[in-house]
Amino acid sequence: MSEIESIKAIKGGEFLIRETQADSVFIPEEWNEEQLMIAETCTNFLAQNVVPNLTRIDEQEEGLMPHLMEEAGALGLLSISIPEQYGGFGKDFKTSMLVTEKLGAGNSFSVAFSAHTGIGTLPILYYGNDAQKEKYIPKLASGEWKGAYCLTEPGAGSDANSGKARAKLSADGKYYLLTGQKMWITNAGFADVFTVFAKIDDDENLSAFIVEKDFEGLSLNTEEHKMGIKGSSTRQVFFNDCKVPVENLLSERQNGFKIAVNILNLGRIKLGGATIGASKEVITSAIRYANEREQFGRPISKYGAIRYKLAQQAIRTYASEAAIYRASQNMEEATEMYEASGLDPIKAKLKGTEQFAIEAAIIKVHASETLDYVVDEGVQIYGGMGYSAEAPMDRAYRDSRINRIFEGTNEINRMLTVDMMLKRALKGELDLMGPAQKVAGELMSVPDFGGADEEGLFIKEKKYIAGFKKAILMVAGAAVQKLMTQLGKEQEVLMYLADMLIELYVSESLQLRVEKLVGLKGEEAVKEKLDMMHVYINDAAVKIANAGREAINSFADGDERRMMLMGLKRFTKTEDINTTQARRNIAAKLIEANKYCY
Amino acid sequence: MSVIVLVEHTEGSIKKKSLEAVQYATSIAQKTGTTVSAIVLGTLPNDEMENLGQYGAHKVLNVPDARLNELHPRAYTTALLTAAQQEASKIIIMLHDINGRAVAPRVAGKLKAGLVAGALSYPDLDKGFVIKKAVFSGKAFAHVNITSDVKVITLIPNTFQLNKGEGKASIEKLDVNFSDNDFGITVKEVNKIKGEIPLADAQLVVSGGRGLKGPENWGILEDLAKELGAATACSRPVADAHWRPHHEHVGQTGGTVRPDLYIAVGISGAIQHLAGVNGSKNIVVINKDPEAPFFKAANYGVVGDALEVLPKLTEAVKKFRQNHK
Amino acid sequence: MVSLFGRFRGGYMKILVCISQVPDTSTKIVLKDDNTAINNQGTTYIVNPYDEWYALVCALELKESGTASDIHLITVGKADVEPVIRKALALGGDEAIRIDADSNDPFQTATYIAEYAKSVSYDLILCGKESIDYNNGAVGAMLAGLLDIDYIGFATDIQINGSSVIVKREIEGGEETDACSLPVVIACQKGVAEARIPNMRGIMAARTRPLKAVTPVAVDPVTEILAYELPPAKAGIKLIEADNMDELVALLHTEAKVL
Ligand SMILES: Cc1cc2nc3c(=O)[nH]c(=O)nc-3n(C[C@H](O)[C@H](O)[C@H](O)COP(=O)(O)OP(=O)(O)OC[C@H]3O[C@@H](n4cnc5c(N)ncnc54)[C@H](O)[C@@H]3O)c2cc1C
Ligand SMILES: Cc1cc2nc3c(=O)[nH]c(=O)nc-3n(C[C@H](O)[C@H](O)[C@H](O)COP(=O)(O)OP(=O)(O)OC[C@H]3O[C@@H](n4cnc5c(N)ncnc54)[C@H](O)[C@@H]3O)c2cc1C
Repeated sequence: MSEIESIKAIKGGEFLIRETQADSVFIPEEWNEEQLMIAETCTNFLAQNVVPNLTRIDEQEEGLMPHLMEEAGALGLLSISIPEQYGGFGKDFKTSMLVTEKLGAGNSFSVAFSAHTGIGTLPILYYGNDAQKEKYIPKLASGEWKGAYCLTEPGAGSDANSGKARAKLSADGKYYLLTGQKMWITNAGFADVFTVFAKIDDDENLSAFIVEKDFEGLSLNTEEHKMGIKGSSTRQVFFNDCKVPVENLLSERQNGFKIAVNILNLGRIKLGGATIGASKEVITSAIRYANEREQFGRPISKYGAIRYKLAQQAIRTYASEAAIYRASQNMEEATEMYEASGLDPIKAKLKGTEQFAIEAAIIKVHASETLDYVVDEGVQIYGGMGYSAEAPMDRAYRDSRINRIFEGTNEINRMLTVDMMLKRALKGELDLMGPAQKVAGELMSVPDFGGADEEGLFIKEKKYIAGFKKAILMVAGAAVQKLMTQLGKEQEVLMYLADMLIELYVSESLQLRVEKLVGLKGEEAVKEKLDMMHVYINDAAVKIANAGREAINSFADGDERRMMLMGLKRFTKTEDINTTQARRNIAAKLIEANKYCY
Repeated sequence: MSVIVLVEHTEGSIKKKSLEAVQYATSIAQKTGTTVSAIVLGTLPNDEMENLGQYGAHKVLNVPDARLNELHPRAYTTALLTAAQQEASKIIIMLHDINGRAVAPRVAGKLKAGLVAGALSYPDLDKGFVIKKAVFSGKAFAHVNITSDVKVITLIPNTFQLNKGEGKASIEKLDVNFSDNDFGITVKEVNKIKGEIPLADAQLVVSGGRGLKGPENWGILEDLAKELGAATACSRPVADAHWRPHHEHVGQTGGTVRPDLYIAVGISGAIQHLAGVNGSKNIVVINKDPEAPFFKAANYGVVGDALEVLPKLTEAVKKFRQNHK
Repeated sequence: MVSLFGRFRGGYMKILVCISQVPDTSTKIVLKDDNTAINNQGTTYIVNPYDEWYALVCALELKESGTASDIHLITVGKADVEPVIRKALALGGDEAIRIDADSNDPFQTATYIAEYAKSVSYDLILCGKESIDYNNGAVGAMLAGLLDIDYIGFATDIQINGSSVIVKREIEGGEETDACSLPVVIACQKGVAEARIPNMRGIMAARTRPLKAVTPVAVDPVTEILAYELPPAKAGIKLIEADNMDELVALLHTEAKVL
């Protein structure tokens, strides 16, 4: 590998110990003309076909959702990054993320879309043999067939590998007979093809099967009554000696859990994309209402309390977006690298995605919690109308909540974030110990005040972010040393560490995005984005300090605690800034534009 | 060197907006020291044509060919070019309406003349020949200078005040050499729309709220709508109570309308209602409560009891319509 | 399904669709340079809706039904309008022509297009009823004049049978059905076709469809915009006495100009 390549080949999780160059990240301000056209098609599709029908969709009007899926299919939106040989458009991953983001504003439609194009299609695309792909992918790509994914069972949710569904070979050796029940299956009501996970005989691990809706022995329960995404079909699926031809075993026997995990890696970052798409839409509604609604003789958008909320909604969304597309680009580059090293494109894609599984988990949590913040404040901005089932915030609020639950609950994803990081360190893939020891050494030494007189727009933020990294390395290093193998059981500490990592990754992504943007457009053109960066990093420092303190206090005491708390203070110290003025600037632009405009 | 103005007529009488055009032409003629020649294409009683003198036309050039009673852009163009040549005209005026928009650009193109489509002002001759017109669908105005020798202008109807004076125009027959091509378009069928006006397309909307008290009072609202040629709409509680059909409900959770004129009767002006109607170009609010929020969003307001005000308004419109045939 | 029986399936019918670039409908107009120009910083541009939704889609339908063979798009503009032309090409069209000139004078624009159209001799020229920026609605009729062919404006329905054309168009207070022969220029509005959303195939093809820049013929503009002006802020409400409805009607007539 040449030196340039090796520099480009950033590894997943490395953000904790390495500095990233701004010009190496992808930022959404760089979408090209074709990508913007595709985005516009998505927006127009939602505006013309989905938004006018939201109520009918939520009432699950017979045939409506599958029809909308077919319409999306006719526009090509179900097959953005499916290879051309299977009737797709072979576009890069970022473009498919962009489509997911834009359609993410489509409430229940977005869930049906994401489930179909993600968990419904990808297991077959990535793990199917040629015959399976030829049979299923073109129809899934066009929308003629709809896909679903059956992993969860009544007794197996977060612990997905513990399912009871079983498969055994039929006497004539032609079929697997599948027995068991799956629950919470998105798109079940109209799906034609199900990827079903079950153990063969007494296997330790899951296997995966492609099951068609007409296979004998498959039946559906009625629709679940849900808090939100009411238009999304969710049902139990029962398998009673369901006859699955042996050629419909997906990949190899016992490879199912790996399939499930790898598909989830993609699903998580995609969920991130979809939720910021929804966030932007909700922010736009909130701004419009705030500009229209008058109380005490003025539009409520003139009030600081409301402007604060609008700014905060936008800052968090913009920051989340920075992280999402940074990681998407990384996945794409890693995929290209694996491909260049001789892997076939699909294996390369899986490995490239897996490489950034930590980032995907971080994004899943941050973006879904951003949307929840955005809809919550959206309701608040609408006041009483926010509580009306006929105003747009009601649906947004209810529909948002699922995102913290599926694709791995946010607790599971937080634990995974830390767990994967530590595992990679143990395997020697990620050198955390060296940097952690260096930080520990720094704790004993006189603080380094260097760089104070350096000039530059981002000097301070870069220093803060370097400090965040030190804080995490210090706490994580001490936790590992102290708790050793018990760390896995100290979930509270894991949660704090995850929160610190999430804030670090998003802060850094935002800083890099704004730095690159200033390089492209100049400082003057992106003033509000600089404000966003200042506010976000200011707040992140507080969050990281708090989480770090709670973590330290839970496992350290005496001098060690005191020393670490002092170190933490030093590593998370930021200069005081006027965040009120910054938020006002950010809100002013939103209010003027009367829509989300970042 | 006269100013030429194309006069539209229907069923034997001149359209009111064409009188505005004649008067506009007269104003320019006076400033430039010329006279106005009105062009009447098709058949029209002589006294109608003579009466154009009341708005300043010096003479009428008439082509009494019945085929011209229908729009034939090429034939109209041929006639106007003939007239322009005969009169050595430098200024040609039409209306910015369906007919004018088919003919004026054609004439302008043939004469390599600058065109202002949709004039809102008289030309400012001090700065050249500068006319104001709306651009960006009314979000701005442009001041357009015509730099060519010959100038073609189409006027927005209902923009220029009419002042009827004395006078009688002389009538001359204009000889035009039409070719077959000039009548290349055959009119197969004409359908005038009657009956109910669809709400979404309506230019005028009369809308009622709870202030009308009950469905039995909608008659007076419909009378006004009929007199105006307006569509009817209502607030949500009115539709919910089945006083009116649901498709009439406008607002945040109902239809959106953007008419030229929205008359709100007995509607308080809740934000949810305003959301569906604030694209209206003009809003008249009739409400007995002077504090009703709708007044803040209105251009014209009447504080009073709808049951009394509505019949009076209908009467006034009727009177106006009779005077402005 | 459109039946092809009895229909001119010559397959040689060439359509020219005139498209223009306009600011997105939600654009706020801001003036600059002493009100002599529009500040277009940050403005996003779209294909003029009447051109895209009706004229272009009508042409596409005619091609899909086998009536037309070639669809060419034409616009007058400098290179920076090309992204918007490609937006149109994403919907369809076989090639696009950009007359390399800036013009907001209808005569100049129409002359440019007419000169090009003469060199290809189109059977049908479609345009939108007006562009939503300068609202002149003049280019179509002027073009027909310069080409000495028929023109029908405000069309709501177009049927082509062999070389004969049946068009429904708006008239005052109703609708009229006109017949004429090709070639003709038709200005389209709602009804002529249903707006479409560009699909992936179209978007990807847009880049590969030929888009050629043509040097304009020499023609001077005959109008110039000297200045712009923004409408005054919404004036406060005018209250009218309840027993003076004549005054209200008069105001609606003379001031609001809606009666
Ligand atoms: C609307 C909807 C659609 C869905 N669609 C699909 C689908 O299409 N296909 C599919 O297979 N599944 C689907 N699911 C299932 C979804 O993935 C699971 O609900 C999710 O993984 C959580 O599992 P559970 O519901 O069993 O919760 P549980 O696992 O019981 O979790 C309950 C709580 O305990 C926490 N928890 C669990 N384990 C741990 C642990 N080890 N440490 C700490 N905390 C823990 C969780 O975070 C959560 O807060 C869907 C669910 C819903 C609601
Ligand atoms: C979720 C939700 C969605 C909504 N969506 C819509 C919507 O889409 N469209 C909509 O219109 N509303 C909507 N509303 C209702 C809205 O909030 C108002 O309640 C409603 O617009 C009021 O209707 P109104 O003006 O007819 O009645 P009121 O508010 O009761 O007003 C009646 C008015 O009539 C006046 N009045 C009374 N008597 C007379 C008289 N004799 N002469 C003249 N004036 C008189 C009163 O002064 C008063 O101003 C919605 C509400 C909610 C909660």
